[in-house]
Amino acid sequence: MIARLVLAQLRRDRWQLLFWAGGVALLAGSSAAAVGQEFGDERERAAIVAVAAANPAFLFLRGTPDGTGVDAVVFFQAFAFLAVLAGLMSTFLVVRHTRGDEDAGRAELVGATPAGRLPPLAAALITAAIADLLLGALTAAALVAGGLDPEGSALTGAALALIGLAFAGVAAVAAQLMPNSRGANGVAGAAVGLAYLVRGVGDALGTPSDDLLRVEPATATWFSPIGWGELVRPYTDADARPLLLALATALVLWLAAFALRARRDLGASLLRERPGRPRAGALLGSAPGLAWRLQLPTLVGWCVGAAVLGSFAGLLAPIVADAARENASLGELIARLVPGTRADAVGAFTAGILGMTSVLAAAAGAQAVMRSRAEEADGRAELLLSAPLGIRSWLTAQVGVAFASTAVVALVAGLAAGAGFVGVGEDGEWFGTGLAAALAHVPAALVVVGVVVLVFAVLPRLTVALGWAVLVLALVLGQLGDLLGIPDALQDVSPFRHSSALPVEELDRAATLVLLAVAALAAGAAVALVRRRDLAS
Amino acid sequence: MATAAVITVTALQKRFGRHPALDGLDLEVREGEVHGFLGPNGAGKSTTLRILLGLMRADGGTARVLGRDPWTATVAIHRDISYVPGDVSLWPNLTGGETIDLLTRLRGGADERLRDRLLRDFELDPRKKARSYSKGNRQKVALVAALARRADLYLLDEPTSGLDPVMETVFRRHIDRVRDEGAAVLLSSHILSEVEQLCDRVTIILAGRTVETGTLGELRHLTRTSFRVTTGADAAVFAALDGVADLRAENGTVEFDVDSERVPAVLELLATLRPEGLAVTPPSLESLFLRHYGEEPAEAARR
Repeated sequence: MIARLVLAQLRRDRWQLLFWAGGVALLAGSSAAAVGQEFGDERERAAIVAVAAANPAFLFLRGTPDGTGVDAVVFFQAFAFLAVLAGLMSTFLVVRHTRGDEDAGRAELVGATPAGRLPPLAAALITAAIADLLLGALTAAALVAGGLDPEGSALTGAALALIGLAFAGVAAVAAQLMPNSRGANGVAGAAVGLAYLVRGVGDALGTPSDDLLRVEPATATWFSPIGWGELVRPYTDADARPLLLALATALVLWLAAFALRARRDLGASLLRERPGRPRAGALLGSAPGLAWRLQLPTLVGWCVGAAVLGSFAGLLAPIVADAARENASLGELIARLVPGTRADAVGAFTAGILGMTSVLAAAAGAQAVMRSRAEEADGRAELLLSAPLGIRSWLTAQVGVAFASTAVVALVAGLAAGAGFVGVGEDGEWFGTGLAAALAHVPAALVVVGVVVLVFAVLPRLTVALGWAVLVLALVLGQLGDLLGIPDALQDVSPFRHSSALPVEELDRAATLVLLAVAALAAGAAVALVRRRDLAS
Repeated sequence: MATAAVITVTALQKRFGRHPALDGLDLEVREGEVHGFLGPNGAGKSTTLRILLGLMRADGGTARVLGRDPWTATVAIHRDISYVPGDVSLWPNLTGGETIDLLTRLRGGADERLRDRLLRDFELDPRKKARSYSKGNRQKVALVAALARRADLYLLDEPTSGLDPVMETVFRRHIDRVRDEGAAVLLSSHILSEVEQLCDRVTIILAGRTVETGTLGELRHLTRTSFRVTTGADAAVFAALDGVADLRAENGTVEFDVDSERVPAVLELLATLRPEGLAVTPPSLESLFLRHYGEEPAEAARR
């Protein structure tokens, strides 16, 4: 019976699992290859490791360096990120097959069969275990293929799998406690984030060795499942014992989840759904008010991402400056981040990072337009537009929220970059530099959003597909065009090629105005044209 | 007495790609009446309602709602219309109460006493998030929002498909209320008993065309009454009567249908036969419906 359920779950998830496990393995393999290529020389590795060891922000983000061997540097570079991905894959998977099925009513169908109460949960955990083993095995294989030591790579894969199992346990318990899958995913995802942060604190507070080639993590790292994986040090003083902690955590949480499931009704939860507001607040009385209310939680997510990425520009500035001095090829790579320019490393790095955040800003706006499409496709726009509210004023509100989302995300990225510079002790002038560099890209990002709005107004059913295509094209052509060796004429199609990459380039006022005009024109045309079409479900 | 028309639709056409959704549909809804809009799934009921709301444009024919063209005067006519869609989809993270407030505020605000009464009558908890509502509860949210403010015209697309019988009674009470207030209601349905209980007049459509329209009384001439008689007499005496169909005889029980106009002749005959048992099933829209859509749909559409 359980085997049957497991097979059904694996079948349902087959593409998703391959995507997750394959993606993590690909990430591991490519960072192994990259380290071997970019830092082939031991002296170069020593330099970058020493710079990192002296910078708590870097330790917080990545982990603790452990010598200058290629294997150890790859592990230091990639492990924390890989572990976060393994954790998220496991939590989403378990919640999907437990609380998610209960939400959708599928659990009731299965529960009516002789499957009983516990087997569906057991099946979800077994599916998670299979997925984690797959992820561990593929990652180990990718690391070996990247030229790393087979024994250490096997241990790295095992660590990822066990961390995944522990978080599968967290998700299984969260699914029993929370009233719906959204809540369970939130709690389990937050646990993964917390594990990353706790080991970040431990690593940042770690003690560097005298030669700055190693950092001994502080106690806090011992309180995080991701930290346990780091403490294995698979490529140097390999010691698998910390993984026993992960195994024990997984077992305890799995048993706890079974105990909780055995005691509760299907669909019931230990935490009840909090009752919401019986009356709407002042905001919810107009189309723009509703659009803001729906966009706000997503916008916060985009802003957090933009803030993290933007802060890199400032926080990593000293490392970049040092590294570029020591390593000519890295300096070359950084300089090429901004197409068509040659500039000093920190300026180029800042422009490059904030070019990336401008894509996030465009994505936030495009996603808001896609939400409008979802409103239409799901029939909520029909309900809304049966009120005395024209489709033009509705679309105007949606466009306003989309454009504003883009601007806010860019602003947050700029502020975070500026704060990062101030945080590592640069003078206040750099704060303005970071902010201006982020805002200079807003017009180009608005053009991307405007094009997506136009697609929504004319070809609503293609909004999502064409919307992502427009975004990816703008990114590939405009931001990565030089790295990929794409011809200039083709690159120029992307609006990002026409906005100014501060502080490397001067602000081109004419181009900025043209971009703003194009964005306004696209939005205006969309509002004019949308009246001509039917509401399309 | 001729009353003014609230909705006038003539020869309405609408195609989706090559598929004709509406193919010459006629419909008239008069002031102060509850009008049943009957047809099987896919007959074009929802498409008609969307055209009446100006959310879709007709390819041919004319539609007037409250005296205006719904495509050009969309916003203006919406001020006097309340609508409940057939498949109610709500914003998952808004509560029922927030959704009702949003929809009524867009139309100028709810009648607060009516809103409270509707919530009580429909036993709806306004503090729950729409995500956790069942289909029936989502429908209740849309109904409360539509009924909590007076309108001249209510467009309701299969409004009771998720409601239990108790709630259907509540719904009927409120429809009677808005009719008493002078509003017109267009109620689409494929549930015949509902239309029989609620509606003054009915329009029946099939494959995008109007096949019948009129009061229930006018449509009864199309229906048949079913008889089930326990008697020693030979079944042939019934077969001899005009308008008798589907005659079946078994173990002294005779079953047959008769055109409703011919019932008196059957009764005269029965009086002479002294039957031991008699069951008469009154004409229902059900049988009318079956005759149109079950037996000879193609022929019905051609008429």
